[in-house]
Amino acid sequence: MRNINTYLKWTLFMLLTAIVLVAKARALCPQQKSNEGEVILDAKPANKNGLFKTGEEISYKLSVKNTYNEKQEGKFSYIITSDDGKKIFENTADFSIGAGSSKSLSVKVAPKGPGFYHINFMFNLSAYDDTVRKVFGVNPEAITSELHKPDDFDQFWQETRRQLSKVAPQYKVIFRPDLSTKYKKVYSVEMKSYENLLIRGWLVIPTDGSKFPVHYRVPGYVVELKPNMDNDDYIAFDINVRGNGNSKDVVHINTDNYSTTNIQDKDKYIYRGVYMDCLRGLDFLYSHANLGIDTSKIFVEGGSQGGALAVVTAGLDKRVKVLTMQVPLYADIRDNYSISASYKEQVVPFKMFRQYKNRHPEFSWEQFYTTFDYYDPQNFAPMVKCPVLMGIGLLDQFCPPRCSMALFNHLGSTNKEFVCVPNSTHEVDFNYFMFQNLWVREKFRIP
Amino acid sequence: MKKLILSCLCMLVFIGANPYRSFASWPIGKYRDIVIPSMFLYHQTDRFDRNGHRVKGDPGAGFTSYSANLYVGYGISRRLDLIASVPYVYTQNKFANGDKVTNQGLGDLYIGLSYNLVNFNYVRYLSVQVSGIAPLYNRNVELGLGNYGAELKLMYCGNLPKSIASKGYFNTELAYRRYFDVQGPDQLSLSGTVGYPISHHDQLSLELLFFRSFSSNKAFNPNINNARDYAFFKPSLNYGHQFTRRFSTFIGGYYTPFGKNTGVGYGGSVLAIIKI
Repeated sequence: MRNINTYLKWTLFMLLTAIVLVAKARALCPQQKSNEGEVILDAKPANKNGLFKTGEEISYKLSVKNTYNEKQEGKFSYIITSDDGKKIFENTADFSIGAGSSKSLSVKVAPKGPGFYHINFMFNLSAYDDTVRKVFGVNPEAITSELHKPDDFDQFWQETRRQLSKVAPQYKVIFRPDLSTKYKKVYSVEMKSYENLLIRGWLVIPTDGSKFPVHYRVPGYVVELKPNMDNDDYIAFDINVRGNGNSKDVVHINTDNYSTTNIQDKDKYIYRGVYMDCLRGLDFLYSHANLGIDTSKIFVEGGSQGGALAVVTAGLDKRVKVLTMQVPLYADIRDNYSISASYKEQVVPFKMFRQYKNRHPEFSWEQFYTTFDYYDPQNFAPMVKCPVLMGIGLLDQFCPPRCSMALFNHLGSTNKEFVCVPNSTHEVDFNYFMFQNLWVREKFRIP
Repeated sequence: MKKLILSCLCMLVFIGANPYRSFASWPIGKYRDIVIPSMFLYHQTDRFDRNGHRVKGDPGAGFTSYSANLYVGYGISRRLDLIASVPYVYTQNKFANGDKVTNQGLGDLYIGLSYNLVNFNYVRYLSVQVSGIAPLYNRNVELGLGNYGAELKLMYCGNLPKSIASKGYFNTELAYRRYFDVQGPDQLSLSGTVGYPISHHDQLSLELLFFRSFSSNKAFNPNINNARDYAFFKPSLNYGHQFTRRFSTFIGGYYTPFGKNTGVGYGGSVLAIIKI
């Protein structure tokens, strides 16, 4: 009996202790949590792709979630600016949201003219400050830009192509069993290009068939292309232009200086040879139909610098039957200059151009354009007559959407489409590539 | 009625037969064409009664049909396809007393439009198809129900997760068909297909079909072309081989393990898919 009482007392003591500890812990918790939490913001445009028609009401739906254990109070404001940083509209209002609750806001913007606009949603609350940055476009197919095409532009490129034609390609096609698979044969390809410079590429031929359309890929900015093993239905040809990937024997320049190499002389500017490298790649494809290449079905593709190279290739050479490009670098270079001037931190490509100019104070922007007007992909766009698909990212600073669309609108093709990815920066998304695959199949009538 | 069954079964075999999405519920693709000739065999000796009990057929009695079917699909736009199917049917109904009734001729023309409602990242597709059915034979010839009809079908298809099979796919269909006659029938079908690659060029697909036909005419007819009120469950197994990107062939077999007021059917099919 005595043991039982002792046991009960001990149990009672333990229970009381536990209750006191739990109560203390619960009392402490709100104090700890009051400093933990966040405000989760999301802004979605009424039109999923962030594009609106002229005169159409532009609106965003904002969802705000407060995970703090205390009410958040402060200001909500939004600012609309042009893509080159000019303020167009600003609005501020008081805002509060209860602890642990959610709220929705609708923001309507007065109709705008054709162009792209930045809209920043800012929340300055008791314990949380944040800004959600979005971009929307209005009737982008009506965007215009001035072409600064030099009078002798066509002659310049005709002469350049003439010089290329004088270079004996000396093609070498080297089978690489170490890289091949049961279903893909991989070849390393070498050829001499403009100014007799050696460049290389990768040819991947499916073993499952005798004749294939060609996916001809041109590279991004100092990006190494490797054998493309992804597609069963195409021969994949990836070329590394001079200074890229395995074509660095002579031209081996870092990313900071690549785009400014010989910028002061239009005849020696690096992209003269680079553009010709892409055409030499086409020469290779056309001279090797015996490998199963269907020369009537060559589509050229590239992203960023590759987008520029792709449009130049399709503009200069009608052997390209279909063009797909994403976020084409250098497009509408003069407007890109104006837009990039508003950036807090410089990005490609004007990061390099401005660095160069800082190092060469005597070099003027006019001199820059004297050279670059021969190379702006936009000036090649009217010469593109084949079907075109372009993808852009609305948040792209490297290739501002306005510049990409200016190029797009200058394309000489009547069969052209673009895809806008609203939350992408200098890239497109998986969906774009899925669509691109179907789109190219449609153009080539590939089953 | 037999023709109806044949049409349904042919369609299902086709649906499961394509290893690379050239058929089933995927949009055909703008300007693309698909032509699918097929041969189909159906045979029954025994039957299921109204309670689903298997009833042994009379010795020497049975029903057999052969059909050649031509299916054509054309992609009008990225979302809209025109499809048409015409069978040529030969049937033979043998009775226990040795009598035979044979019929042959064109069956029901099946023509419709398929529209892709939603694509989910170009990986999965939800589509709707509206079709009309028109008999191409004299109503006195038992090659089908002999009535005009219409069908509404909802289709959902897509790739299997890559963790399961990188080129595997699934296809599901829910269809309602109505024949414009006082006896109907109204028909509901639900099918599910899974295709699984077994090699670079070969695949196996399994189809499961639940079919129910409702009518005020409850009579059992050994010629299933003319039956109106019945139900069955039918699994099919198909093997497909891709010769080229534009030409594939398939062979399949099926059996009816459960049914009501219908035959214990079994048979097979051979078909080719030609992509133009």
